[in-house]
Amino acid sequence: MNSKKNDLKSLELTVGDVFSKNARLKARNVNVFYGENKAIDNVTIDIGSKEVISFIGPSGCGKSTFLRCFNRMNDTIDSCVIQGEITIDEENIYDKKIDVVPLRARIGMVFQKPNPFPKSIYDNVAYGPRIHGLSDNKEHLDNIVEEALKRAGLWKEVSDRLSSPGTGLSGGQQQRLCIARAIAVSPEVILMDEPCSALDPIATAKIEELIHELGNEYSIVIVTHSMQQAARVSKRTAYFHLGKLIEVGKTKEIFTSPKHNQTEAYISGKIG
Amino acid sequence: MLGYNRAKGLVNLNQKNLHSLTHYYGIFCLLSALLPTLGVFFIFTICDDLVFAELVKEYIPNEVINSKDYNFTIVLAQINNSVEGLVFGTPPQWVTNAAEIWKSWVIKSNILTMIVCAITILTSGFLSYKKIHSEFRSRNAVEKIVMTILGVSSVIAILTTIAIIFSVVFESIRFFALIPYDEFLFGTVWNPQFEGAERAGSGQEGLSQYGAIPLFAGTFLISIIALCVSVPIGLLSAIYLSEYASSKERAFFKPLLEVLAGIPTVVYGFFAALTVAPFLRSSGSMLGLDIASESALAAGLVMGIMIIPFISSLSDDVINAVPQSLRDAGYGLGSTKNETVMKIVLPAALPGVVASIILAVSRAVGETMIVVMAAGLAANLTANPLEAVTTVTSQIVTILVGDQEFESAKTLSAFALALTLIIITLGMNFYALHVVKKYREQYE
Ligand SMILES: Nc1ncnc2c1ncn2[C@@H]1O[C@H](COP(=O)(O)OP(=O)(O)O)[C@@H](O)[C@H]1O
Ligand SMILES: [Mg+2]
Repeated sequence: MNSKKNDLKSLELTVGDVFSKNARLKARNVNVFYGENKAIDNVTIDIGSKEVISFIGPSGCGKSTFLRCFNRMNDTIDSCVIQGEITIDEENIYDKKIDVVPLRARIGMVFQKPNPFPKSIYDNVAYGPRIHGLSDNKEHLDNIVEEALKRAGLWKEVSDRLSSPGTGLSGGQQQRLCIARAIAVSPEVILMDEPCSALDPIATAKIEELIHELGNEYSIVIVTHSMQQAARVSKRTAYFHLGKLIEVGKTKEIFTSPKHNQTEAYISGKIG
Repeated sequence: MLGYNRAKGLVNLNQKNLHSLTHYYGIFCLLSALLPTLGVFFIFTICDDLVFAELVKEYIPNEVINSKDYNFTIVLAQINNSVEGLVFGTPPQWVTNAAEIWKSWVIKSNILTMIVCAITILTSGFLSYKKIHSEFRSRNAVEKIVMTILGVSSVIAILTTIAIIFSVVFESIRFFALIPYDEFLFGTVWNPQFEGAERAGSGQEGLSQYGAIPLFAGTFLISIIALCVSVPIGLLSAIYLSEYASSKERAFFKPLLEVLAGIPTVVYGFFAALTVAPFLRSSGSMLGLDIASESALAAGLVMGIMIIPFISSLSDDVINAVPQSLRDAGYGLGSTKNETVMKIVLPAALPGVVASIILAVSRAVGETMIVVMAAGLAANLTANPLEAVTTVTSQIVTILVGDQEFESAKTLSAFALALTLIIITLGMNFYALHVVKKYREQYE
């Protein structure tokens, strides 16, 4: 009863349709605090199966914070407190019974700065399958690594130097390596926090193309500060402002006819 | 002193006048007035003793010079003592006279130094003052002077090192003239005797033997024991401090660990000799083991404790320097904390960890006090940690302490030992740096 009322309250805040027909991730009335400071204020949203959704908004509005709620990366920050409910396939991920280790294997993450391990390209990709015991023998592991690198569009470039260090690749290649590393554990959802902000335009274009393709198999949440990028890769877009979810809708509609005046201000370049 | 004050006065004056232009002019004046003066001052203070020593020869009576056991150094020391008011017994009248004259020279030379300094300050200050006009680039000049000072400082450091190495090398060459180097390097018996003792046939018959292998074996036995203690404890505590401890615990434990590094090694030495060794001995006899009261084990254990902070503190810094983004990547893939630390953070920090271990090893190899007090002096060639062994450094100490004939092979052997030790530690550091560099290249 109470939760329904809260739902309505947050719906009052958010313009557009926050719900999705075949939702995989559901966030309900999520509040996030860093100590006293409230970073996310009562956000409710669904993320559909095999859907690419962009989070946009001025910097400091809490996009990263909210993204990190989905794989419980905020657990590593001591001062961070999360209220509300987030479910994946109807399972509450903040339930005490849930183990974060398999959860994070189901929900992969790609970070703002490419952060390959100081290991070989092969070991970078094989790291996840190894710690989760996904392969029984070397051959199987080789296959997983090859498959992941192919999906990340990196196989052709690195197949002849799998044992050279991953840190020796170019920035764009490193980021694709990180994507390969994430998809090697066959996640259901991939969270990406400004994955192209440290890359040049050509590398960015490659990653965007990749995200577009991966969208056929995974649910992808991408935080971006580039509206063009949001428009290119995602079907749905969510606009955040000062910790509040202001508007959600089809990407096209958000960019052409935003309903909320704050969204319009941001789109037209008056905020941010 | 006076000259210095004058310099200050002058420079203050200059600064006041010049400050309106730029403070660089002031600094330039200060530097170009002070530096030559300092140089002059040093030359004077160093030279005057030498000059006086020459001059004072005239005041030594001829009969003293002609006497059989005349030694100028000793006479000079006598006079110097008298100058400083240290009088042993009643010195001969001529010594007191010479000392009086010496004192008057000192006063004269001090005045002279002051005058010359003042002149230098005035002239160089004046010259630099004259140099100052609107086009003079004092900033560049100051830059150059500062650069020269820095360069000279590092040259002094390097020269000192070279001088030390050379003095050791020369003495070693003299040693190897007496003892063939292959006997020294490959001999397995270390039994140095003074030639005098040998000639007197004081019970120890036969020639001295200078086989250094037992000493180096002892050194490495103790170092390895020390590493077995310090590497696990140091590394694990570093991991705990940097990855697991809350910031409160860290603020408490880290300084506490570093206190270990501040304890003088002598204290460790008697801890080893008076606490650890008897404890090992009694617990060994309970188990039916015969542990010598001075054993490699006791020295190694305590030395291990001593070098824990080297490993833990440096490793902790290195582990902290591993970027958070790597940890995030690990957690993002679903690693546990332990997996993240062991499979990501530690491998990334490995070069630094290796460096800290190498540093600890060279500390252990060069450590003297603990082994002198706890490991004994018996040059046994053994791999048994329960026996007494001796190390290179403790042999050097025993050789050089006390009465000695400087020309004897025994004394000179200390330099040969030191040289070998230097070469070994240098080689180790070189190799370690090489390893670290290779890792860096691979992972940067
Ligand atoms: N680790 C943290 N500790 C404390 N406050 C934080 C932390 N991370 C982010 N914040 C705060 O939370 C708010 C949202 O930050 P963030 O989620 O990084 O914004 P965005 O990704 O949209 O730029 C900001 O006000 C920021 O200062
Ligand atoms: Mg962000």
